[in-house]
Amino acid sequence: MDVQQRETLLRAMLDELALAGYRETSVDRALAAAGVSVEEFEREFRDKDDCLFAAYDQLTAQVVARASAECGGGEPWPDRIRKGLEALLDELAAQPQMARALTRSFPGIRPAAYDRYVELLARFVPFMREGRAYSEVDEELPGEVELLAVGAAEAIIFGEVDAGRAERLPQMLPEILFSVLVPFMGPDRAADEMRSAAMSN
Amino acid sequence: MAECCAESGYGETTVEAVLDRAGVEPESFESHFADKEDCALAALNKIVSETLAQLSMAHPLADDVVARRKFEVKAILELMAAQQPFAWLVYIESRQGGTPRMHDSYESAARVLALMMERAGDPAGSRSGIARAALGGAEAVVRRELAAGRAERLPQLLPDFVYAALVPFVGQREALRQAKQAARVAAEEE
Repeated sequence: MDVQQRETLLRAMLDELALAGYRETSVDRALAAAGVSVEEFEREFRDKDDCLFAAYDQLTAQVVARASAECGGGEPWPDRIRKGLEALLDELAAQPQMARALTRSFPGIRPAAYDRYVELLARFVPFMREGRAYSEVDEELPGEVELLAVGAAEAIIFGEVDAGRAERLPQMLPEILFSVLVPFMGPDRAADEMRSAAMSN
Repeated sequence: MAECCAESGYGETTVEAVLDRAGVEPESFESHFADKEDCALAALNKIVSETLAQLSMAHPLADDVVARRKFEVKAILELMAAQQPFAWLVYIESRQGGTPRMHDSYESAARVLALMMERAGDPAGSRSGIARAALGGAEAVVRRELAAGRAERLPQLLPDFVYAALVPFVGQREALRQAKQAARVAAEEE
């Protein structure tokens, strides 16, 4: 199968997963949607799980790349975090089924799949480290502060996706930004950033 | 049931596997539970009830709400450390892997915890979304430790969780002070 067919097949598998659940996910329907034969599938993947895990790995790579592309550059760290979050929320809002597969359907398959979700959250941790330099106190912040910030954003995003409101995520940028910044900057400065994001949102 | 879910996930857990592990006959299972979901819900209810019982005994004489919450969070972490399969069932399966009824059970428990945190840090109760997000941060750390099979480490993370719960409401300086106190409380009791 060519690159385009592979991409379409992986997307179709995640669509199946989000809509029908793991047990009802049909490789045959995904193959039909992608115009891929059973023989081509078997040359590339061992089975349904092999294909689903490949699909999830591709999706997470795209989501992380989209957010991290906005986190580079020379702007102050809070501005880069805002831009990264904005890109992430836009991406998820534009693809509600992918957002559901990303956060709920795939991680729930079994513990090995859940490990991939834990790894996904861990990939956002390095973007947070610079936030320690913005602390208003001289003391060292807690060791887990980066994952606490990532998890706060995840909790809000998960709640909206799970409730079928992924398209609302971009409107929630100010609230999510506050929850990510507050462990590093304290509530007053995080609220300033939140208000600024709300004005430009 | 909890052990099977922690090993294979709820979706791939079969009643037969649960019966084998528990050494229980099918007739006995059928006299207590309607089906697999019913059994999983009973397991969830068991750990939620134990958690509530632990909370009620956590430290009733603590004189302020922040101090009580610290002891309550500590009690939860210790219970999860001691009952890792049940912790997996509550924090992971019922949130992302289980049935809608299991998910409702998780949501109810999470709402209660968020309300507790909100009252500890924000007596005016005006920012419930912020409390829920702070709780989500702590839960992400809990889930990482559970996935890595390190639930026994959870009580050591009490200071980090106290910081996360309080910082949106009281600021970094006070949240760090409370986190240090929590570390001392944990160390004294060990």
